[in-house]
Amino acid sequence: MSDHAVADGDALASVSDVSRSYGGVTVLDGVSLSVSPGVTAVVGPNGSGKSTLLGILAGVTEPTTGEVSHGGAGARKPIGYLPQRVPFRDGFTARETLAFYGRLVDADPDAALERVGLSDAADKRVESLSGGMRRLLGIAQALLGDPSVAVLDEPASGLDPTMRERAFRTAAERAPEGTAVVISSHDLELVEAHADRLVVVDRGRIAAAGPLDRLRADYDVESVDDLYRVAIGRGDGTGEESAAPAGDDETDGSVHVTGVSDR
Amino acid sequence: MTGPKRGRVGLAARLRGVDTVFRRELATVARTPGYAALAVGLGVALFGVVAVGGGGATGFVPAIVDLLLPVEALVPAAAVVLGYRAFLADAATGELAVIRTYPVGVASYVAGVLLARLVALAVVVGGPAALVGVYVGLTAAPDTGIFATHAGVDSPLLYVRFLAFVFGLGAAYLSVAAGVSAIASSRRSAIALGALVLVGGVLGGDLALLESLSAGTSAAATPDLLALTPNGAFRGLVFEHVIGVAFAPETDFVPTGRALASLAGWTLGGAVGGGASIALGRRVDAAIERVRSDE
Repeated sequence: MSDHAVADGDALASVSDVSRSYGGVTVLDGVSLSVSPGVTAVVGPNGSGKSTLLGILAGVTEPTTGEVSHGGAGARKPIGYLPQRVPFRDGFTARETLAFYGRLVDADPDAALERVGLSDAADKRVESLSGGMRRLLGIAQALLGDPSVAVLDEPASGLDPTMRERAFRTAAERAPEGTAVVISSHDLELVEAHADRLVVVDRGRIAAAGPLDRLRADYDVESVDDLYRVAIGRGDGTGEESAAPAGDDETDGSVHVTGVSDR
Repeated sequence: MTGPKRGRVGLAARLRGVDTVFRRELATVARTPGYAALAVGLGVALFGVVAVGGGGATGFVPAIVDLLLPVEALVPAAAVVLGYRAFLADAATGELAVIRTYPVGVASYVAGVLLARLVALAVVVGGPAALVGVYVGLTAAPDTGIFATHAGVDSPLLYVRFLAFVFGLGAAYLSVAAGVSAIASSRRSAIALGALVLVGGVLGGDLALLESLSAGTSAAATPDLLALTPNGAFRGLVFEHVIGVAFAPETDFVPTGRALASLAGWTLGGAVGGGASIALGRRVDAAIERVRSDE
């Protein structure tokens, strides 16, 4: 596994050489990654280990091996987290749901609802919200208390295009304020539009990672879509199987991801 | 919680965490119609017992004699219903993972959930039982035939004491059921574990005592052994401090201190077990996976 340091001075959270298996099946294998202020998009095929990586980064999933560190350890709420499946308890309104979390971090639930455009739905019960509204509510929850790192697992999944854009934009708006926003998504257009950095996860390993512009140049591709196809070794539609960039850090089966934290 | 590390949480923050979780849990219980139905059902059963048994028409102690055996089954059942999903609910939906990212520790979370459920227990069990007491107080009149069976002093205070012991019994079962719910992986497994707690507690304790006596344990040890189980402790306390008050028994039913400590111990044990499971469950799971990977 990699024994290189991956975090730089700006890193707000990092995982070092983490692995995770379930029932003996490895879903994440020796991954190192650090995130810094800005929007980091995590993409990859279904079952590639994205959610596990995000869970470990958020501190809610225990890695089988490896280390996790959070730069904002002294903060009241260093990490904001939205799981893939929005989990709020039925029977409570949107405002009551956020009030519960807001009370723990001295945050105003109404301001949080307004931030994601859900003020009009404040008195609706969670179970009667649409899928998009629930996700926006989840984003509002994750951003409560101004965490230094916001980890959002597929916040745009299953939403119509307008809602997807809104969910992504709402999360990305925190990046200029110094928040490291980590978003997993299958929507590569939105990733292209909003992400500063990209992490491509494939079969439990990081296939590519770094600032978006640098990765485009390294892989000699125009779009995130092409980059994704090339990085996971499924060709770019021209028949090529893979195209590792020059100076790739992957050696002796390990993954070294220094680029993610580059500014 | 054991999520991302954060600064030291002060006492005020801990108390706020307990209070916040408590309010949410209490609101959840209050909005669950099934618990109201449970209280009504329990009330009907208790009123039925005192009506059919006849003791309720005579006085508090005779009513308690009639209620004692049914209460030993009904109250644990109600408590298990209140507790069997207490810690599973948030874990099953994934909301526990979200809560872990907030400054609320495992102890605060467990305390908040359990305190709210104990308040619910006081209402669901204590409410109907108290109404039965009011009914007995308003309607009881001396009845020679039954009085001969339940001779002695009678007092509403004895009934209040009985209610306190009933709450202690229910609290022990609720806490254990809640603690066990922390290791359940689904509603179905939670029901199975809750049933195990109920059957094991209501029947298992007495059966174990009988087995122990048949294996040669001295009968003189019975009071001490009886006090170890929630039902035995409850029964002994009721005999010792409620029914026994009426006819000055020659021997102790259970050592009072040991019986009270037993009920408190089961209650505390359930809370600690649940908390430990929440705090360490993920690490244990990861450790097991580590062992698997090494094989």
